Amino acid sequence: MWHMSVEILDAKTKDKLCFLDKVRTYFFSSYPQWYPARQSIRLDPKGKSLKDEDVLQHLPVGTTATFYFRDLGAQISWVTVFLTEYTGPLVIYLMFYFRVPFIYAPKYDFTTSKHWVVHLACMCHSFHYVKRLLETLFVHRFSHGTMPLRNIFKNCTYYWGFAAWMAYYINHPLYTPPIYGEQQIRLALIVFLFCQIGNFSIHVALRNLRPPGSKTRKIPYPTKNPFTWIFLLVSCPNYTYELGSWLGFTLMTQCLPVAFFTLVGFIQMTVWAKGKHRSYLKEFRDYPPLRSPILPFVL
Amino acid sequence: MSAAAPGTSKAAHSDVAPKRKKGPGALATAYLVIYNVVMTAGWLVIAVGLVRAYLARGSYHGLYYSIEKPLKFFQTGAILEVMSRVFLTWAVTHSVREVQSEDSVLLFVTAWTVTEIIRYSFYTFSLLNHLPFLIKWARYTFFFVLYPMGVTGELLTIYAALPYVQKTGLYSVTLPNKYNFSFDYYTFLILIMISYIPLFPQLYFHMIRQRKKVLGHVEDYSKVE
Repeated sequence: MWHMSVEILDAKTKDKLCFLDKVRTYFFSSYPQWYPARQSIRLDPKGKSLKDEDVLQHLPVGTTATFYFRDLGAQISWVTVFLTEYTGPLVIYLMFYFRVPFIYAPKYDFTTSKHWVVHLACMCHSFHYVKRLLETLFVHRFSHGTMPLRNIFKNCTYYWGFAAWMAYYINHPLYTPPIYGEQQIRLALIVFLFCQIGNFSIHVALRNLRPPGSKTRKIPYPTKNPFTWIFLLVSCPNYTYELGSWLGFTLMTQCLPVAFFTLVGFIQMTVWAKGKHRSYLKEFRDYPPLRSPILPFVL
Repeated sequence: MSAAAPGTSKAAHSDVAPKRKKGPGALATAYLVIYNVVMTAGWLVIAVGLVRAYLARGSYHGLYYSIEKPLKFFQTGAILEVMSRVFLTWAVTHSVREVQSEDSVLLFVTAWTVTEIIRYSFYTFSLLNHLPFLIKWARYTFFFVLYPMGVTGELLTIYAALPYVQKTGLYSVTLPNKYNFSFDYYTFLILIMISYIPLFPQLYFHMIRQRKKVLGHVEDYSKVE
């Protein structure tokens, strides 16, 4: 545990405030191996990490401040992680769709499936990940700049692995289309598209809560867009819609690995939704009591 | 893929039970004592069964059948046991009849048996706050041999099962089917075997480290950490 002493001299000009990111910059110039993103600075060795927006003069310190430093390990930006983990499934699925050599028996190389639902599934899957990539670049406003480097390996294994597993069966020469045929596929497509639009609407609504470059947190409310009215009943409707999309995709492909992927994703999103719901409740006294974390009235 | 920790690895995971700093309540202690006594007895039954069967037959062929029932009962009854033990017993040894007469089965059953007798008596004595140093020493020393012995037995057994699994397509699902899913038990078993390579050394060295820590402090008899 590093122990560092900072002396604050009299602030000559009251309007020039010292934000904590300045402290991080100074620390970095003395210790170039610890760039600001991997510095955790706290007032108490076991306490919470201070934020860049914190103002030195507003902290409970006198003219001499003692901070505690902790190395968070190598960091990587959220944007980088998202772009990498989403590009994988996009590319991998297409490799299976076009039946690139060494996946299926050689006589099937570069052939296409005779079932039209397989083409539809490829379009939906690709659309989903292109949407995610675009949202990462243009819609989301991230609270944190970085995350630990090891996360990228974990996350990519999950997304890429599951994408390969699903794509293998859907694009297999022996694929069996859904039992209820056209009816099932049509219903599944409607559910999928509805939830994709819903998910996008929520992402936009959340973005608009937050001015550019800021990290403020506010309670989200329904807007004029009907897809956001679900905010009346749920704290994290983006996850609700995401679940719906994958249920649609499962119904469309009638593929057990897809069902399994949907289930695992649902479990993870429920954990996140419950955490987010709890922070909302803690931070806002007037948080709407009718809301559930992810499933209306249920979960 | 199920956790394929080698059989005698339970010794590494075992620090779960006695690790609690505050002792268990009276009811919990009573339950644990009974549980451990029963487990000790069960594994003794299996050990005795093995010895008697050997003496009766004059060889150790077919020894599996003599202890099959209690082995299945006591193995399955211990819900907290590592999945690999249950897997080896049911998904490999029970499921593939041809494997039951293999010597490798005897190898891992013996290793598990000795380990468990020592381990459960260790727990029983610890709970009663009267742990003879001999038991503690045995637990942290026998593994040097029992561990590789158990792992060898397990690997050989899985290996012996492979041709039969491939021939009969045991537990395997093929395409086409309406769930668009497939599972090849043969490949799965090979992956399990491969997973021993990273797992076994980790657990083995963990036990060696534990041993240094535990036996280094000879004066602590009743404290179990």
